[in-house]
Amino acid sequence: MKKSTWIILGIVAVIAIWAIAGYNGLVSKDEKVSETISEVDNAYKRRADLIPNLVESVKKYTNYEEDLFKGITEARAAVTKASLDLNNATPEQMKAYFEAQDKMGASMRQIIAVAENYPNPKAVEVFKDLQAQLEGSENRITTARRDWIKATKEYNQSTRRFPNSILASLFGFEKKAYFEASEAEKATPNVGDLLSE
Amino acid sequence: MGAVFSGLVRCGSSSGSSSSEPAKAVQRGIPAVPNPPRLVNDFAGVLGSRADELEQILVAFDDSTSNQITVVTVSSLDGYAVEEFALELGRKWGVGKSINNGVVVLIKPKNSDGGGEVTIQVGYGLEGAITDAYCRRIIDNEMIPAFKEEDYYKGISNACDQLMKLASGEISEPRSKEDPSGWAVLLGFFLPLVIFVVVVSIMYKKGGGGSNMSDCDGTGGSRRPFIWFGPGYGGGSSSGSGWGGGHSGGFGGGFGGFGGGSFGGGGASGRW
Repeated sequence: MKKSTWIILGIVAVIAIWAIAGYNGLVSKDEKVSETISEVDNAYKRRADLIPNLVESVKKYTNYEEDLFKGITEARAAVTKASLDLNNATPEQMKAYFEAQDKMGASMRQIIAVAENYPNPKAVEVFKDLQAQLEGSENRITTARRDWIKATKEYNQSTRRFPNSILASLFGFEKKAYFEASEAEKATPNVGDLLSE
Repeated sequence: MGAVFSGLVRCGSSSGSSSSEPAKAVQRGIPAVPNPPRLVNDFAGVLGSRADELEQILVAFDDSTSNQITVVTVSSLDGYAVEEFALELGRKWGVGKSINNGVVVLIKPKNSDGGGEVTIQVGYGLEGAITDAYCRRIIDNEMIPAFKEEDYYKGISNACDQLMKLASGEISEPRSKEDPSGWAVLLGFFLPLVIFVVVVSIMYKKGGGGSNMSDCDGTGGSRRPFIWFGPGYGGGSSSGSGWGGGHSGGFGGGFGGFGGGSFGGGGASGRW
């Protein structure tokens, strides 16, 4: 074969290797975004799973009032309504989802705060545990959301940065939306403030 | 030739480090992995000589169950929330094995920098055995009462006893020396490199010409894709590196090193 044939073959081979590596890189970043977002959804579901236990304990240990539950029932219904395939959601749908979740978290915290003030020492222990579980759930949510935002940013960056941007547009890797935590949510929840509302 | 290689290596290493924390000065932010690795890291100096006692207990527990409990004391949280600090530390150090069976116990004693804070952060793999509520009870019943009396050793060792009991109930894997993911990364890096070298050497031979490989002008134009190859590949590989702070150097019965476990925010915190 001629010299020039070898050169062309070499160039083609290197471009092919680069394209495969770049493509695989985009795929794994894309996967990472899906993986982290399902972790976000799991973390929220985990928190919602505390509700039956919470309601049961409140009924058992306190002279509960119906309107205490009205808020959480409504919030839970809103969450169910807003639940969606987060991976393919529009920014508006995402916003609605997170707002509904935030509302539910607030009403859960409120119930625990009210119930913790009951004089029964057994009740105090039970609600302290519930409080710890709620805090743990919220930590998981914060962590999952941070991981998701980080993964999305990394993915978006690599789809836009040259020369990967060529591959991204060639294979249809589109920019992904994400939703930063609201300012109110970032601050540590203060039980006292919730009560005085 | 040498110039092209150094360029490649630089591209590879810079994309690798971009995924980790920016380097920070000593005693600022999340501390670096101790070298040699230790499970008890008394940066705040509240345990004194008894830190070694605790170290032995925790190393023995790691050897028999592979569950890694690390105790860290710091004099300042440097603006982090206590649970965030512990979580980032656990991820940075890679506490726990690949099944994420690590626990970080972080204590910031009461000092001029503010009130006392404590957190127990549990790796994904142990969340079922060490629940948030159990962590809360350990903190409220074992740790804070002792910490109030400034008896840090008592609080911490009682907490570790409880954590070990809880963790023993969960699955644990036997220790193995092999780390398949490490080989995959090596292979993934060197295979393209070998192909690259082969192609370059063929081109160099067949293409003739006395031009230097680092020369990118004129006839060198056709070689530009090689330089792109560096960052293009590096971007792909950096996503696989993760937090695995895997030291594998085991020395005579001591702690064998952290194993790349990760954390998701499970656990509880307390203040006094």
